[in-house]
Amino acid sequence: MHLWPHWLALIVLTPLVGAALTPVVALIDRRTPTWWALSTMTVTSFAATMLVLRIFHEGPFSYVPGGWTAPYGIELHFDEFSAVVGVICLVGWLAVLFSSRYTDSLPEFARGRTPYYYTLLLLNCGGMIGFTVTGDLFNLFVFMEVLSLSGYALVAVGGERIAEMAAFKYLLMGAISSLLVLFAIGFLYGITGTLNIADVTARLHGFEGPTAPAAVALGMLVVGFATKAAVFPLHVWLPDAHAAAPSPVSAVLSGLVVKVGVIGMIRVYRIYYGSGMFDLTVLNLVLIWLGAISIVMGAFFAVFQDDVKLMLAYSTISNIGYIVMGLGLATTYGVIGASVHIFNHALIKATLFFAVGAIIYRTGYRTLTDLRGVGRAMPLTAVALSVGAISIVGIPPTAGFLCKWYIALGAFQADRPFFGFVLIFGALLIFIYYIRMVNAFYFREPVHAEVAEAKDAPVSMLLPTLVLASLCLIMGILGRVPLTFIEPGVARLLAPLGG
Amino acid sequence: MRRPIAISLAFLAAVPLLAGVAGLPVHGDPSAPVHTHVSARYIEHGVEEAGASNLVTGVLLNYRGLDAAGEVTVIFTALIAVLAVLTVASTRDADASNHDGRVRRSDADRRHPDHPVSPIVHFVVRLIAPFTALYAAYVILHGHVTPGGGFQGGAILGGLFIALTMVLGKERTRPLVRPVLAPWMQGAAVLTFAAVGAVGALLTGVYLGFPVDPSLRIVRDLMLIALEVGIALGGAAVLAMIFLQMEAS
Repeated sequence: MHLWPHWLALIVLTPLVGAALTPVVALIDRRTPTWWALSTMTVTSFAATMLVLRIFHEGPFSYVPGGWTAPYGIELHFDEFSAVVGVICLVGWLAVLFSSRYTDSLPEFARGRTPYYYTLLLLNCGGMIGFTVTGDLFNLFVFMEVLSLSGYALVAVGGERIAEMAAFKYLLMGAISSLLVLFAIGFLYGITGTLNIADVTARLHGFEGPTAPAAVALGMLVVGFATKAAVFPLHVWLPDAHAAAPSPVSAVLSGLVVKVGVIGMIRVYRIYYGSGMFDLTVLNLVLIWLGAISIVMGAFFAVFQDDVKLMLAYSTISNIGYIVMGLGLATTYGVIGASVHIFNHALIKATLFFAVGAIIYRTGYRTLTDLRGVGRAMPLTAVALSVGAISIVGIPPTAGFLCKWYIALGAFQADRPFFGFVLIFGALLIFIYYIRMVNAFYFREPVHAEVAEAKDAPVSMLLPTLVLASLCLIMGILGRVPLTFIEPGVARLLAPLGG
Repeated sequence: MRRPIAISLAFLAAVPLLAGVAGLPVHGDPSAPVHTHVSARYIEHGVEEAGASNLVTGVLLNYRGLDAAGEVTVIFTALIAVLAVLTVASTRDADASNHDGRVRRSDADRRHPDHPVSPIVHFVVRLIAPFTALYAAYVILHGHVTPGGGFQGGAILGGLFIALTMVLGKERTRPLVRPVLAPWMQGAAVLTFAAVGAVGALLTGVYLGFPVDPSLRIVRDLMLIALEVGIALGGAAVLAMIFLQMEAS
């Protein structure tokens, strides 16, 4: 049997089945879950490569499990936005590799959790992949639950009191947002009688009948996904959860899981742009403003943090602000920039969390004051951290530059230059923080002996960090490739159906 | 001050939701889209196409099989989440049973359940246990014909396990969750879906496909029953193990 047409099913299946078997292989030996998770992610990454190759060849394509064509069965649909599975697999794979040493630093009482930790990591990646490649609203919800539930537990897995509280807060906000999304899907099903995204769009096109359910559904979907994406003012769960989680988990949560909310928004926007039911100007304006507030507020809070991980968490809110603002601008440049920033920010934020995680692993400290001088003790890790820092500020020629530039262009294209300046202001604010960080790490004398004597991170941590850091540079130089790749997808997103 | 704010917020949230519900087609209206579009085909052709007289099972396992596969994954995730958050190394019993295959227990434990139980409850639970198990088996195996199926039957089995554990004590039901078997049971539903889906891929060329050819009807029925049994075992294991884990911590 030729596998070429089946990769779309396999990429969803592999991590989930791999997860189900992780507790089984844990019976063999204490170390096997790590190797098992690594090989599962390797197969998944291979599937992702095949899918991305295929979309380069023939454009968007579908797979119908069970053989029932849409709308009667569930359709898996791979479009340009689904190509984000590439970065999900890459960061997921590297997070597993990074964890192989990190799980040793779990407190004594939590050692028994290691196999479950890997199970949850695989489930989380599988859920995200399923979410990005499904073409069915209810299926979207099911995968969202897989990734949300595993996310809540991953925050608490380290066992500290603060992590458990943060996970609980995350759980409460996440559960409410899931409920909103589920309720909205019910509304859409009630008025269209179908769950397939393309079919819902087609049936809402020229819809006759009361539009109230569709309008309320739109509101609930946007609020629900904005909570998952941590857009101001629905971000309150994020800083604690992302700062308290184990560092490889923070990389996955901050780099990938929040993006799921944005991808959900893109799917929703496809339905409403396509059907042309409502004029979305007001909603877009709300998104632009919320994005702008997120940018400035996230950067502002980040500047005043002493805890490095907390600062990275606030910077995620700021970056989600860029993406949401780009979406709200609804101009080609803005949406292209936003879509590519989904991808680039995942690389950058994972680099930063990996580097910081390695530093915390080696020194045991996590604040700027305690970590003075660490740049000289751990040169390679600190270089990766600096590359990540330059990228997140958006200095050319790094990955962060082009997408922010595009979003700013989008603001001018939409005739809203003010927001272009907000964007630059946010970048400048965050720049202050990184200057503080570089100053502390390189130019201040260490205050702790552990920091001065720390060795560079072990290979299993250094390798993922350096790979991602070099990707931050490569994506900056090859920045045009993703921009041109996503363009047809964006054109299709913004166009009304049949127009 | 907090309560009035909370109540007014709840009302504020309720207004748009009610407005949305008011705009939905009248409940039971035969011309509503939910009855005329996709489900019309399920009702008309579901029995012969999907191979289950119980239409709900047909939609759940066949037309929308990937959703059911996802749902059992959600349940599995919930169990792993509980285990990941609550597993604490100091559960010495678990370690002991891992090492020498059986549990060291005092004579007192052997005779008495963990909590005192009234003799009436003790007797009644033991009396109905075999019938409950039989009923669960019926619900599971007959799920593609009559209302019921793996999820419901699994819940009955899990409930039975919990009732027996409470009455007889953990030591008597522990052999059912041997350390070697437990991880297979936890993932039973997810793994069954993968296996049946792969068989379907070999037979029909698509993952989770069911053969429609009349000569292969028996294969299709067996696949459906295998799914029901897998869902039930996995579901029961999840309920039982969440219970055991929460009791341990």
